[in-house]
Order: sequence, then structure tokens, then C-alpha cells
Amino acid sequence: MILCTAILSGCEKDDFCTKDPVTPKLVLRFYDANDRDQLKKTERLSIWAAGKDTIPTYRSVALDSVAIPLNTTTIETVYHLKINDFDGNLASNETATLTIQYTPEEEFVSRSCGFRIIFNNVRFSSDTSWIQDFTPAPLTTIDHQNTAHVQIFH
Amino acid sequence: MFRYSISFIFLLFCSLGYAQEKAMEVPSEEKDSLVYKTAYGLRLGADISKPILASFNGNYTGFELVADYRINKKIYIAAEIGFEEKTSVEEYSNSTSKGNYIRVGFNYNAYDNWLDMNNEIFTGVRYGLGIFDQTLNSYTPNVNSLYFPSESINASITDSGLTAHWTEFIVGIKVETLRNLFVSTSISYKIVLAVNDPENFKTLFAPGFGRIFESGTGFGFNYTISYLIPFTKK
Repeated sequence: MILCTAILSGCEKDDFCTKDPVTPKLVLRFYDANDRDQLKKTERLSIWAAGKDTIPTYRSVALDSVAIPLNTTTIETVYHLKINDFDGNLASNETATLTIQYTPEEEFVSRSCGFRIIFNNVRFSSDTSWIQDFTPAPLTTIDHQNTAHVQIFH
Repeated sequence: MFRYSISFIFLLFCSLGYAQEKAMEVPSEEKDSLVYKTAYGLRLGADISKPILASFNGNYTGFELVADYRINKKIYIAAEIGFEEKTSVEEYSNSTSKGNYIRVGFNYNAYDNWLDMNNEIFTGVRYGLGIFDQTLNSYTPNVNSLYFPSESINASITDSGLTAHWTEFIVGIKVETLRNLFVSTSISYKIVLAVNDPENFKTLFAPGFGRIFESGTGFGFNYTISYLIPFTKK
């Protein structure tokens, strides 16, 4: 009886959310514009959304892949991506603007994880800067974070 | 948990006290007979753990009536009907289930009573049916991002006429504390057979079943006081 009661009370909060991530982030991978199968790291990359501070983990870093959150309360997120391929001086910074438009949709996951957001009808646009080209051009859905959503060529 | 242990010990003492009292009194009463008769009839009662739980927990109200009918030496037909309302407060959602339920099945008394005592250590099975509404009061999208944090959204979306079907396996004890007055405690393990989920949400609590775990199982606890209306002695 006591054992059973212990089991009973022990089960009250058993299911913690082990799913990570719940809401997918946008995954960008950087490729060489001259050799399009070859990953190419960005030198001194910094990323920030319009009107916000730089994302702490992406502050002047050399990476070939990044995962950045989208604003789930709006239908558009504008990101600025700064690189510096030369010397790290302010004058040689190059900044690109990547605009992501989408239709957010709430999807129930589980008791412990709650609701996540998936992004439908995702459209990307970029100004002409250090980003020479990117894929995909057509609409897409972001509902996972296992592979890159956008390949950026530079 | 301590409360349950104390109840259990209390029950034990009650049963011991009763056993002694009866053992002394019975032989003078029925000294010519070797067959000790026990009462058969309809036993009616209520689960008193639910109102007590409700008085401590502002997110819960519940009431349950219980009945059983003895059909032979060992077997009782048993049923419970009740009402429950529970607000499930989760990290990312807040929802309220409320509705009525019925459970029907059998209890088997595995205890061999002394003389004309009428106590039970029983196991039981039930089929349960709950009909209920579930309202999603509010939720916070789980965006796992501090960069673009999400805010709690007041939803108030109600799905009515949801049903849950389940089976239960019960073990418990019943003690006749005063003549025809029984105190019983039992625990149950429940398995969902079928449950309606609200659209793009989940039934987190079903009245009569309780919290539905990820695996579609649940646990129950009853503490009842019931009165036997004796029809006959066999």
C-alpha cells in the first residue's frame, strides 16, 4: 500500500519536455560561390535582427552553419549578417540583409512541451551584397531543424 | 502520502478492535450453528477523499457516489458515478476538464472472514466512461528562444462532448467499523481504451480517469464510507 502510494505520488510530474528544439530555428549554411558544393566559413560573422542586439552566440565568429530564431509573433523577420573577410577593421565590414516572410502556425506537441510554432509559406529575400546567391527560391515550410533551410553562396 | 498511511493504520486498528469484540460475542449468540451467516444487500456510499482533496487544492473539485451489490460469497457487482473538474496547470498550457463519469464492474473478495465478520481484501475490474468538456484557458508557445520570447495567449477554446473509455484494475480493503457501516480504501491502475482529444490539443485530464499519462495510463485512489442496506442473510 505504502509502496503503491509512493509510486502514485512519484509519477505526478514524470514527463519533462525532452524534445529539443520544440520550435525550429532557421538553419543557414554557407557555401563557396565559386565551388558550390564546398562549404565556406564566414569570417567574423555577426548576426542581429533589425532593431535588436547581436545574438550573443553569433558575435564575430567563423562558421559555416548557423541556426537563428524567427519572430513567432509577426509574419516577417529581418536579419542583418555582417562579415569581415579582410582585416577586422570597421571600414571593411560587409553587411547583408536577409528578409524572411512566413505564416506562423501553432501545433500541439505534448503536455510537457506545449505548443510549438511551425512556419509555412516561407519566402526569402536578400539585398545584393556579400551574399551572391541563395537557395531555395520557391516557398518552403520550416518544421524541423535537421538540415539547412537556406544555402547561402558567398 | 502520510495521510494515506495514517488512514491505513487507522483501518487496521479498527479491524483488529472489531475482530476481538466479535470473537467474544459470537459463540454465545450462535452456539448451535457452525454456519455463520453474513448480510447480503445493497451498499451505498461516497468517496470522502475527493471533497477533502478539493478543500486543499483550488484547481480541483470532485464528488463520487459508490454502490455495490453482493451476488455470492465472494463476488460483488460494483459501480461508481461522479463529477470532477480539474484545471491542469502545465508549464506551457492551462486547461480545465469537467464532466461526469460512471464506472461499472466487479469486486472479488479474497479474504476469508472469521465467524460472521464481513471484511474484505478485494481486487476488482471496472469499465469506465467519462463525458466531459475541456477548455484551453491559456497557453504560451514553446519557442525556446530568449531572443524572440513568446507571450502567454488567452485562448478560452472549449471542446464539448468529449468521451473517454477505460479499464481499471483495483486492489483495496473494506472494514466493517460499525454494524453495516464500512470504510474502504483502494487504489487503481487505469488504461485508456479510447479518448477524444480536442483539435490541435490533447485531453490531459478525464473525469473519473484522472491525469492521463503519456502512455495512456493513470492511477486512482478512493477512500469511501458506505452503508449496507441488508436484504437477507446467507
